[in-house]
Amino acid sequence: MEQAKFYVGHEGRQIFWNVESFEALLFIFAAVAILIFGYGIYQRWQLWKAIGKPEVRNDKILQRLNLLLKYGFFQVKTWRQAYPGIMHGLIFFGFFILIFGTFFDSLEFHVTEPLGFIFLIGKFYLYFSLAMEIFGLAILVGIVMALYRRYITKPDFLGYKGENDNQPDDAIVLLLIGGIIITGFMLEALRITATMPPWEVWSFGGWWLAKAFAGMSEENVKMLHKIAWWTHSLLTFGFIGYIPYSRLLHIITSPANIFLASLQPKGYLEPIRDFETAESFGVGKLEDFTWKQIFDSDACTRCGRCQEGCPAYLSGKPLSPKKVIQDLKNYWLAKAKTVVAAQKAAAAGKEGAIDQAGLDKVLPGEVVDLHELWACTNCMYCMEHCPVLIEHIPKIIGMRQYKVLTEADFAPELQLTYRNMENNSNPWGMGAHTRADWAKELDVKILADDPNVEYLFYVGCSGSFDERGKKVAVSLSRILQAAGVSFGILGTEEGCCGDSAMRGGNEYLYQAMAQANIETMNGYGVKKIITMCPHGYNALKKDYPHFGGNFEVYHHTEIIADLLAKGKITLKKQLTGRFTYHDSCFLGRYNDIFTQPRTILQAVPGLELVEMERNRTKAFCCGAGGGRMWMEEDQGERINDMRTDQAIAAQADTVAVACPFCLTMLSDGIKDRQKEESMAALDIAEIVWSAMGMEEKE
Amino acid sequence: MAKDVWIIAEQRDGVLRKISFELASTARKLADELGEEVCAVLLGNGVTAGAKDLAKYGVDKIFVADDAIFAPYTTDAHSEAVAKLVKEKEPAIILLGASSQGKDLSSRLAGKLATGLATDCTDVKIAAGKMVAVRPVYAGKCFVEVQSATNPQLASLRPNVFPVVEKAGAGEVIATEIAIDPAQLKTKVLEVQKDASGRVDLTEALVIVSGGRGMGGPGGYAALEELAGILNATVGASRAAVDSGWRPQTDQVGQTGKVVSPNLYIACGISGAIQHLAGMSSSKYIVAINKDSEAPIFSKADYGIVEDLFKVIPELTKECKILMG
Repeated sequence: MEQAKFYVGHEGRQIFWNVESFEALLFIFAAVAILIFGYGIYQRWQLWKAIGKPEVRNDKILQRLNLLLKYGFFQVKTWRQAYPGIMHGLIFFGFFILIFGTFFDSLEFHVTEPLGFIFLIGKFYLYFSLAMEIFGLAILVGIVMALYRRYITKPDFLGYKGENDNQPDDAIVLLLIGGIIITGFMLEALRITATMPPWEVWSFGGWWLAKAFAGMSEENVKMLHKIAWWTHSLLTFGFIGYIPYSRLLHIITSPANIFLASLQPKGYLEPIRDFETAESFGVGKLEDFTWKQIFDSDACTRCGRCQEGCPAYLSGKPLSPKKVIQDLKNYWLAKAKTVVAAQKAAAAGKEGAIDQAGLDKVLPGEVVDLHELWACTNCMYCMEHCPVLIEHIPKIIGMRQYKVLTEADFAPELQLTYRNMENNSNPWGMGAHTRADWAKELDVKILADDPNVEYLFYVGCSGSFDERGKKVAVSLSRILQAAGVSFGILGTEEGCCGDSAMRGGNEYLYQAMAQANIETMNGYGVKKIITMCPHGYNALKKDYPHFGGNFEVYHHTEIIADLLAKGKITLKKQLTGRFTYHDSCFLGRYNDIFTQPRTILQAVPGLELVEMERNRTKAFCCGAGGGRMWMEEDQGERINDMRTDQAIAAQADTVAVACPFCLTMLSDGIKDRQKEESMAALDIAEIVWSAMGMEEKE
Repeated sequence: MAKDVWIIAEQRDGVLRKISFELASTARKLADELGEEVCAVLLGNGVTAGAKDLAKYGVDKIFVADDAIFAPYTTDAHSEAVAKLVKEKEPAIILLGASSQGKDLSSRLAGKLATGLATDCTDVKIAAGKMVAVRPVYAGKCFVEVQSATNPQLASLRPNVFPVVEKAGAGEVIATEIAIDPAQLKTKVLEVQKDASGRVDLTEALVIVSGGRGMGGPGGYAALEELAGILNATVGASRAAVDSGWRPQTDQVGQTGKVVSPNLYIACGISGAIQHLAGMSSSKYIVAINKDSEAPIFSKADYGIVEDLFKVIPELTKECKILMG
């Protein structure tokens, strides 16, 4: 009897039972599959190498391995959405465990048994079998969930504008995996039918399925087993060989992309360094991207999480981050293939055999539609939620830079905005000499008179020129004065931070303004800065260091929260009403400042704080970022109106914000929805100053 | 040897535009100092009859190229034609208007002639036989004197700045044939859409009466149109009015609309949010009418009336009728 070596208390199974004669053949097929896989990867590797500027992404290995563990193995971002998170987790962890199964089997068969001992025995074997069973079923459940979602529920984020983007490959891969698991259970069931060891009840799936074959003759069972086994093996080898030629490639590219991710702080942008000798700026053709920016597109699995929260997409603009990445990917594949073919032809001495010219396209305009390119508000929802850490925004900005700096082809409204920044250092073109007028009555120190202050209050353009924004600057100054914070302003020496220019593609203008500001600030020995605008905050904190501006930068919500915690200010006046807090993209997703504004609001007596459905990392943009504040919005619905509707749905009567852009957009949204009588938008500084109850003193 | 002061005259539908007379008067002043002639280049279709009018403002010769290919204006046809003529006749100085057409043509022309161009000048004069141009920089905070070192010296003059002076010139109209190959023209004008109001375009208007959210609906603009008629003004609108569909997008004044710089801007029912101010803050005089005394526009206005605009406008209209006779 085959199971003489196994009995209760010494449970196990004969590896290669019934199919030992096929061992050699199996390995030949395995080798073939691996060769096909290897060749496919080799071809892909050539495509990855073919185009793109150099970039270092293999430094700080330990940090990268940590990222890989967090996002690649534990897949923390995938779990953010319950259904696909569970679906993918079942398949992923299922395979992870099952591969151990095969690995242990091989290890025992080829290594330990010849050496004289086996380990898949007894209790270990039983638990091992149970685990394999559970995780095998898990995969099956995952596959069914995936098929159901893609082909029955058909959510929009697996498509574009109502049309799904299913490819045959999507179904093939799911059915292939399904087939592997089902044949796996079948052959287990057949083995169990033939050998009937009582402990195999631990393999409950196969045990249950074995009942279907109960009446069959042993000969037939063994025959069916061989067939099932071969089918299972060939499907598995097919799977392995198919990896490089299908969406299964993400098994390699997604973890690789996570490993190669940017280690820079969120929202980091690489400045253009060479303005002197470069003949073109920004990304005009594919070769202007770095290899990593191109590689990103190969890691994309069309999961659609980016599209699901993209404010441009949701408001009816043609932009979908997924589509941008896929358009780039398809163009890259076509172009890279001809580049590689041409290299081969050249190596073989046949120069010019491949015609490459026909594939030379200008990226912004010919590969990525311009309406898509300019609709982006830089809100970072895409990058925040992409499970494989694709970097969408630097690509968008790169292409915008090309349009602005090389082609000089951009919206007339932006032309005006840039010109105003050049002439008067603010986007509205208000007289630069009036920049400090808001502070005239306030006894605020100007650094030119006395640079000995702890903080520079970098006011920004809104606080300086916009009547509405000035109220916020005034409130904040009063709070700081009441708390005894030592601060001063640059007054008319302050310049626009340049964020809108940078994100609108005008890197040259941005650098000119940044360098001017940095020189002024360094001239006064500025060390710490308080900002009232998250865009200024982000620029000063993350982008200014490129040009020698190394400061400790704080947003006013960080400072106010700190002052409250230290008891330097107390909120005594009641402010009744339902408040909701709108997370500014540049404060929230860009800088992970979610808690402080809420802590502050909750410290206001009488204030009822409610959350909108889309909050924190899922917050919906106000629509003003990425230079969009200065541009006409002529497609679809207004993004700010949509966000206002979300505040209305939360039944809030006050929308608390921490950003002058958001303040403008939401105030306008409230007017558009004709709710000015019952709703208002207020900056947190205004709310805090009001709650401090010191206004009566004025 | 390069000599003579040229102007590139502008016309629309056969009628010479005011800038052409400003150019002529200025050219005459320069030519008188140099002791040279003033020649004008006039391109268009059916323009020969009106060309003689330039003689009243000191022009001695008018080169008229009358051909269908020159109307409507295209950059390629006009720049090619003028460049050819300039290369043939070699003027010393060429003046153009810094109007939208002039800005387009002057830059192209400078490129074709590989010569320097002083744009949007507010004054030109002669120093040691050469033209010195004065132009504003930093949004009008400073003026810079520039002199082009290359020949011919080109300058585009800001409209509505230079005086129109009547001084008789020889006024010889010379019909000129300039061959332009239609195949060379990269743009073809398919259609010209005219503004039905027949009023001066907002960006060129000297007086603007503008209505915002406070107008409450499209009907209120009739009162503004009446006032505008008396003041010879153009009617504008804020973004709120355009978004609500009360006025067309072409009427929008503001950051993403038109930037205007009239002598007088009357803002009716406009709160004065900064995006609107960005479009009209360089107006010489701003009058604001708004029933909300807190409206930000009052901090920018020279004269403010806190009152219901529908009460003020009829009174204002009545008084203006009397004033204007």
